Amino acid sequence: MKISDYIGLSLSNLWKRKLRTFLTAFGVTVVIGALVAMVGFGKGMQKNITESFESLDLFNSLTVFPAGPATQRFGFDPDDQAPVEKNPRGGGPILDDEAIKKLEKLEGVQSVFPEIRFPALIKFKDAEELRLVQVIPAKITSSKLIKLSLGKPFASDDEDSVILGTSLLRPLKIQDPASLLGQKIEVASIAFDFSRFNPMNIASFLQERQLPFKKTAYEFTVIGVTSAISFGGPSPLQSDVLIPPGSARRIEKLPFANIWDLFRAREGRLGYSAVNIRLSSPRDVDSVKREIQDMGFSTFALVDQFNQVRTSFIYMDMMLAAVAMIAIFVASLGIINTMVMSILERYSEIGIMKAVGASDSDIQKIFFFESSSIGFLGGVCGLALGWVVSRIINRVINFFLAKQGLPFFEYFSFPLWLCLGAVAFAVLVSLVSGIYPAYRAARVDPVIALRHD
Amino acid sequence: MDSKKVIATNQLCKIYSTGRVQVEALKDINLDIDQGTFVAVAGASGSGKSTLLNLLGGLDRPTSGVIEVEGKKISEMTREELALYRRFGVGMIFQSFNLISSRTAVENVELPLVFANVLKRDRRQRAEKMLDRVGLLPRRRHRPPELSGGEQQRVAIARALINEPKILLADEPTGNLDSRTSREILQLLAALNQAQGLTVVLVSHEVALAREFAGETIGLRDGRVESRERVR
Ligand SMILES: Nc1ncnc2c1ncn2[C@@H]1O[C@H](COP(=O)(O)OP(=O)(O)OP(=O)(O)O)[C@@H](O)[C@H]1O
Ligand SMILES: [Mg+2]
Repeated sequence: MKISDYIGLSLSNLWKRKLRTFLTAFGVTVVIGALVAMVGFGKGMQKNITESFESLDLFNSLTVFPAGPATQRFGFDPDDQAPVEKNPRGGGPILDDEAIKKLEKLEGVQSVFPEIRFPALIKFKDAEELRLVQVIPAKITSSKLIKLSLGKPFASDDEDSVILGTSLLRPLKIQDPASLLGQKIEVASIAFDFSRFNPMNIASFLQERQLPFKKTAYEFTVIGVTSAISFGGPSPLQSDVLIPPGSARRIEKLPFANIWDLFRAREGRLGYSAVNIRLSSPRDVDSVKREIQDMGFSTFALVDQFNQVRTSFIYMDMMLAAVAMIAIFVASLGIINTMVMSILERYSEIGIMKAVGASDSDIQKIFFFESSSIGFLGGVCGLALGWVVSRIINRVINFFLAKQGLPFFEYFSFPLWLCLGAVAFAVLVSLVSGIYPAYRAARVDPVIALRHD
Repeated sequence: MDSKKVIATNQLCKIYSTGRVQVEALKDINLDIDQGTFVAVAGASGSGKSTLLNLLGGLDRPTSGVIEVEGKKISEMTREELALYRRFGVGMIFQSFNLISSRTAVENVELPLVFANVLKRDRRQRAEKMLDRVGLLPRRRHRPPELSGGEQQRVAIARALINEPKILLADEPTGNLDSRTSREILQLLAALNQAQGLTVVLVSHEVALAREFAGETIGLRDGRVESRERVR
């Protein structure tokens, strides 16, 4: 028998029992559809994370902390912290400009910039927002780390320019970000007011609850708008108001971003709470990390974080596989049931085919082709179903995200191997489901099947 | 006269065992059937006629004994070889026609060609030629339920002969037909026997009718050959 004959015979048999064929195939469709959507989602998230890491050059990033409780960095819950590799010696040196000079000289280090953030009130027309302002060197604003959706990076470290994140546009009631470029905004910082701080009169100071702080306002020109900060993870960028270091120095501000910095202070000096390092290649991460730890600092590499994320994806994949196994088992019971029913109904037909010369293997193959056709049909429809479902979910999620001002985001990914694999998997499962029915069909005794009663 | 043996059995036995009960359907059957003869097998119900035909047709295996067809011992064949023997060596027709009711006449006739690996376009042509020979070409697109009993049996004959076997085994082919149609079917078998030297083994209750066409009759009784008679 030729392959085309097997296919023709199988299809015509299936077509004769359309309803049952489609119901059985539908079972496969649902399973494959759910699987495709779930795997597509997992792969989509994986792809998104990998791509944003890559596009922001985060694989090349390394963060250095002074040894000690360097845990307040991401503003997360302290119990749920990113894995900072602490220097075992503890109580290390201060992370100051001298240390930065040393870090800059390390092999593989491309650029180093300290993490400086200070609280400030951002004012535009009559809107006000409290923000942590981050200081970013001009050369970093022209690197991959910052994606400008509008405007241009800082030309020098000394200009009074500011780059705003898109997340600030809504609070500042800005409809058209393009019109913002070139406009002035006000950055009002908090600093110690030494004139008000009179140690001789500390009691009255405490009684009146008058704090020794003052507010000073500075004008900045908006030069660019960046969207990349929407990634809430461990990026070196932790703010949506960025200013260059030169102008930052002129601002009177508190010399610390959080209380931990004060605890770390030694010999009256604060040092930086963190320093961001960019490497020329991700391969240098391990060697540079080791050298920095030898200097007495703690480090945090985003690559490590990424590997953690990747492990969690492996767990997710394993969970998926377990769910898939159960679902596919149920679907395959459906196929077995349909095929066995079909044998009973076609008992005499099988006998006739044997009487006119069909061999056991001919019969077996006809049934294999039938069950795998069900699987193929179910697989292709399942692929389509999974795709349609993913489109709907994507629409819905993005509809709600758009309300919060977030850009459109593709949550699913359907690589070719997933599409082909889904169909192949469906066919494979149906083939396996067909083993027992095909065996039963091949063993039909023609004498009994042809007996007339 | 050239009397080449086409079917020969030696001490052929068939025992059906269902649970503890054993039925000896055939006992020590020794038969020679010459090429090109028309043999009628008669006997009471349960005498083993169908059992004998199924063994000769390779649908079943003997409990003991030998069956030789055209010099080949089919009683020793594997399941795969038996399928080939059924495909090319013999054709069978039955009382209940055994056509696939969802397929048209021509599709039914084509079926053996599918297993014989014949190209699709040749199949249709050969099947139509065969239907023409049994006089049913105009009804080729009809399904069995739309055909009369006699017409269905003609389709079955066409299907049995499509692979050009030397032997046709007919198990009460006229059992479901009226006397006129029965006669027509037997006339057709006799014509095929005479024109092409087809060896026909016909099982029939209607001894008188069978004797009109057969060259030889074999009487079975309780699984044994009781009588054997040359009619002409
Ligand atoms: N599969 C089977 N299992 C058990 N016994 C069987 C089986 N097939 C046939 N027999 C028995 O074998 C004997 C011969 O049966 P067979 O069908 O050959 O008779 P027959 O001559 O064709 O009868 P009829 O004229 O009614 O068709 C009967 O007693 C029958 O009951
Ligand atoms: Mg019988």
